[in-house]
Formats: sequence, structure tokens, C-alpha cells
Amino acid sequence: MDLLEQFANINFYLLGPYPKGEIGGLCLNIILALLAIGSSFIFGALLGYSRLSCRLYIKYPCIAFIEIVRSTPLIMLIFWFYFFLPYFFGGSVTIFWSAVVSLSIYAAAYQAEIVRAGIMAVPRGQLEAALSTGMSRYKAMRFVVLPQGFKMMLPSFVSFFVSLFKDTSVTYIIGVIELTQTGIIISQRQPDKMYAAYFSMAIGFWLVCYSFSHLARKLEKRIGVFDLESYRPEACRDEFMLLPRRGKIGEEADQSARCIPAGPELKG
Amino acid sequence: MMITGVKITLILLATTTVTSLCLGTVIAIMRISRIRIFHILGNLYVEIFRNIPGLFLILFFYFVFPEVLPSSIGAKLNAYLYYPVVAGILGLTIDNASYVSDILRSGRLSIPHGQRDAAISTGLSRVQQYLYVLLPQMYRTALPPLGTRMVHNFKNTSLCMAITAPELTWATQQIESLTFRGIEATSIATLFYIVLAGIMVSVIILLEKILKIDVSSITHSKTL
Repeated sequence: MDLLEQFANINFYLLGPYPKGEIGGLCLNIILALLAIGSSFIFGALLGYSRLSCRLYIKYPCIAFIEIVRSTPLIMLIFWFYFFLPYFFGGSVTIFWSAVVSLSIYAAAYQAEIVRAGIMAVPRGQLEAALSTGMSRYKAMRFVVLPQGFKMMLPSFVSFFVSLFKDTSVTYIIGVIELTQTGIIISQRQPDKMYAAYFSMAIGFWLVCYSFSHLARKLEKRIGVFDLESYRPEACRDEFMLLPRRGKIGEEADQSARCIPAGPELKG
Repeated sequence: MMITGVKITLILLATTTVTSLCLGTVIAIMRISRIRIFHILGNLYVEIFRNIPGLFLILFFYFVFPEVLPSSIGAKLNAYLYYPVVAGILGLTIDNASYVSDILRSGRLSIPHGQRDAAISTGLSRVQQYLYVLLPQMYRTALPPLGTRMVHNFKNTSLCMAITAPELTWATQQIESLTFRGIEATSIATLFYIVLAGIMVSVIILLEKILKIDVSSITHSKTL
């Protein structure tokens, strides 16, 4: 019954103090996740792509960035940007934007990994075939490899969106009024019915996450399961570079010989 | 303060790794089992807790759990000095176990049927089948994603600062508010997280190398 009483607060859960103040609640979670994943998409794709590069001065900074961001807790990133964005841009940066920036950086590193694994999962023959029809490297990537790669990345993108959506709840620590914060505010208004507020908070998260993970599962079934986490590509693939070092297809053989360690199938 | 923070973080990491591995194994076995109730319960657990943020669970165990319990126990819990750490362990374990069970289940599904048949034919009981034949293989096949998950779990221990568990992130915030040396404290803490995550990753890669089986023998047995 206490749960039903929470319906009186449904506006606050969904929109926060919206008509009187800034938008908040569940809506803000979705906005944060969408903004972060949208803004980090290009950055993440570039990072993931340049991680495959054979040029060490491109490859190693990207690896360093990705690994550092991936092994730092999200809270730490949020604190970094919460304290140091105002330091660089003056006091005009609101907590909302520092949350968006830190979430985007966090998302970019993870998306880079998804993009890299997606590109590596496209069979090599595809690129070779595209090059042998006379396409330039850019065209081959753009029209042959990337469309197939993105198709395979799609389920991982959706499930990453779910996990990013859950991670937006962390921003409550710096005072963004999203669903967790609204739940806590309501639970403090009525300390005897705390569990009702918490349960309605959980239901809010659960509904959104469940529908998206359901979507991810459906996509996985349609496209074929692509287990990203256990995928560990070892070879470095120079032929995916847009601009190869000497720019001629004829010299590819020795380049790839330098870059790709001989696999077991080559040994015979 | 920093050193106690590191200690508490390590305690959180060690306990949640062990407990979530145990709980995850139990739930993975429940989900595979042919007994209907276990199957449904296991699936329900994963569906519920995979779709709820870990932070919520931690907050739930800290703020709401003592209220739901009978008041005498709740009051004792609230008075307990290290209750934040306990609540953090509970929340992290429940959050992580759902992922672990999912990973282990897919590990179990990748074991060929012949293994179980062989175990039955040598006269092992159900428990023995799991203990001696299936579980070791489950862990081995599931090791790479399991490792990633454990590193993720390690990063999630920093969420416990929301409930004032005195771990590393909380310690940096305290240092910041006491001495205004936020940059130094945050950098050291970040460095610690990066180094420890690196150590965990290399340990997992080492384990993978140690436990690796000769692939050709497996393909051979499959063709038979």
C-alpha cells in the first residue's frame, strides 16, 4: 500500500523539479546516458580505430588513454571533472555538464573497445576482396568493412547503453538530481516509509534497463552472438589504416609481414 | 587515512570477489538445473539484479535494510561501526553475482555433453560431477570474461563511498575537505586504482596461460 502511495510522487520521480526548476528524475538519467553515448561515439570510434594502427605514435597513446580510463572507477573520473572543469573554464560549468563530460570520456574508452573488436571480427578476406576490386583504402573501410563491423557491434552497443544508463546513477554523488537523488529526497521526507521510495526507484531503473537489455538480446539473436568480453585480438592489422605508410597497395605484403605475427595456419 | 582507505578497499575487493564467485556459482547451477523452481528462481534473480544499478543496492542495504528488519536487530546494525563496509559487501556481492552467474552459465553451456556423460558413466554422484568435472572446466572456459568482471567489481568498490564506508575514494574526499589538497589526493588514489587494476589483469592473463589446454586435443576428441 505504501508503494501505491508513491504514485502521488510519480512526477517527481520522472521529471524531478521540472516545471519549477531544472529537469531531473528518470528523464535526466536517460538524457545523460544518451548525451554521453552520442558525444562519445565518434571519439570512441576514432580511438578504437587508431588502436589498430601499426604506427606506434598513434597506437600507444590510444592504448594508454583507453586503459587508463578503463581502469579508473567512474566516481574518480566524475570527481576529476567535477573539480577541474570549473578550474579551467571558470565557474560557469554546471554539475550537469561536468557529469556529461565525465560520462562521455568513460563511454569513449569502452566504445573504443567495442569498435575495435567489431572491426577485428570482420573476416580479413572482405577487405582483401574490396582492395582487389580497386577500391581505395578509405572506400574499402567505408563501404565494406565498417558496415559489417557496425552490424556486429550493435548488440554490444545496446548492452553498453544499459550499463551506462545504470552508471548515470553514480552522478547523484556530485548532486545531480536524477532518479537516485529524487528517491533519496522522497525517502527523507517520510523516513518511516523509506523502503517504498527505494522500491519505486528500483522499479524505474529496472523498467528502462530491462526493455533495453531485452532489445539487446533480440538483436544478438538476429545478428548472432558476439561475445565481446572474451574476444582478445592479438594481431595488429596495418591494412586497416586509412593512410598506409607508403601509400601503395603493392607494398602491402612486406608491411603485413612486419605487423602480423604468423598465425598457426601459416605454419601449416 | 589513505592507508586505512587502501586497506578497506582491499578488504572489500577480496571479500566481494570470493562471495560473489560463490553466490554466482550457486545461481549459475540453479539456472542450469532441471528442477523447475530452481531454474525460475535463478533466472528471476539475474533478471532483477542485472537491471538495477549497483549503487542502488549499496544504498538499499545501508539505509533500508536495517529498517525492514525487526527493530532490535536494525538498531544493533545501525550502531555497528563497520556497518557501511558490511552493507557495501552485501550490495556489491549481489550486484556482481548476477553477472558472474551469467558468465559461468555460458561457460557451462560451452562444455561438450560428453564430459557429463563420462562423469555419469564413471559413477560419480551429482555433487561429484559438478565438483570434479564440470566446475573446473566452467571456471577455465569462463576465465577471461570473469576476469574483466572482477576488475569491474574492483572499480565498483569505490561506490561504497556513497555510504561513508571509509575506503580509498572516501578517504580522498576527506583529505580534500580537511586539507584542500584535492589534486594530490585524487591523483594518488587514481594511480592506485590503475596500478591495482593492471596487477589484476596481469594475474588473470597469467592464470589463463597456466590453465590453457592444448587446443588440438580438444578438437580431436570432438571429431571422435
